[in-house]
Amino acid sequence: MATLSKTQIDRLGNRLKKGSPSDDDLRLLDKYRRSFGPAYDFIIRTIRGTLRLEPTGRPAKSTSSIAEKLRRESIRLSQVQDIAGCRVVVADIFAQDQTIAMLREAFPQIRVIDRRISPSHGYRAVHVIVDSEPVTVEIQIRTALQHLWAELSERLADVVDSSIKYGGGDQQIIQILTTESELIAKLELFEKDFSSPPNETAETHNSKIRQIQEDTARMKADLVVRLRSIISLLKGRQR
Amino acid sequence: MLFLIEYKRTQGRIVTFKTFDDSHRSEAERSRLELELELNQRHIDHEIVLLDATDEHALRRTHRRYFEDAVQIANSLNGGS
Repeated sequence: MATLSKTQIDRLGNRLKKGSPSDDDLRLLDKYRRSFGPAYDFIIRTIRGTLRLEPTGRPAKSTSSIAEKLRRESIRLSQVQDIAGCRVVVADIFAQDQTIAMLREAFPQIRVIDRRISPSHGYRAVHVIVDSEPVTVEIQIRTALQHLWAELSERLADVVDSSIKYGGGDQQIIQILTTESELIAKLELFEKDFSSPPNETAETHNSKIRQIQEDTARMKADLVVRLRSIISLLKGRQR
Repeated sequence: MLFLIEYKRTQGRIVTFKTFDDSHRSEAERSRLELELELNQRHIDHEIVLLDATDEHALRRTHRRYFEDAVQIANSLNGGS
């Protein structure tokens, strides 16, 4: 299979951006996406075999997602870093940090985009970009809570308004999603505190742990109530 | 295991769901392209994606939005899964 030139790839990207791609465009895009196959296979094999994690892989980003990204971010198709990728959902923020450390050891050429420090419209996760010349593969690492938030935001973007994911659309929904994202961030910070080595008596430490557990449970319950309010809001509008 | 999903975003509904054994990757990729070409000719704008998970349970966990509505996703926060 002949390799596509950068010019060919970017011209294809321009056509996808305009919408209504031809059948030949879709065949060409398919060829381009398949060129990520060997790098994707290697990375998935390593994550499953060596790191013993259970990723769900996406060997090729969907055409609609690529076209939307090109329109949204004004980048060229050859610059899109997540044509191939996978997602790993881990229990908590410790497992997330541990996974990043394991990926650093397994792959020498990585870039870490920490969306816990710089959330994107409330989206918090860690994306690791593995450079596997000439392509890149993206690994999304999310905690269970970050993942639920992201799934909820994506689902609402699907059925309500696609711009919700990027801070647009109904501002009531955006406000609730933003608050929930901040709440999850706070909760995960609590989890980190929870693991700090005790520099105090066992009694004080245990009391702190109990307090954190109570706070965590309260925050979680509050989160559910608030998320349900989004649903009520939507149902009210559908009537 | 490979999963070919055709998803109608605006309705949050899966239209096509096919599974392929890992050893049939080429067949799965061919099916994806054929489906994409078919829908393109009919001017149908659906998301078509090929995903690769250990089993369907793992897929449903990492890609809930294809299978669960917003209420179900919000409720699962209670279970923490």
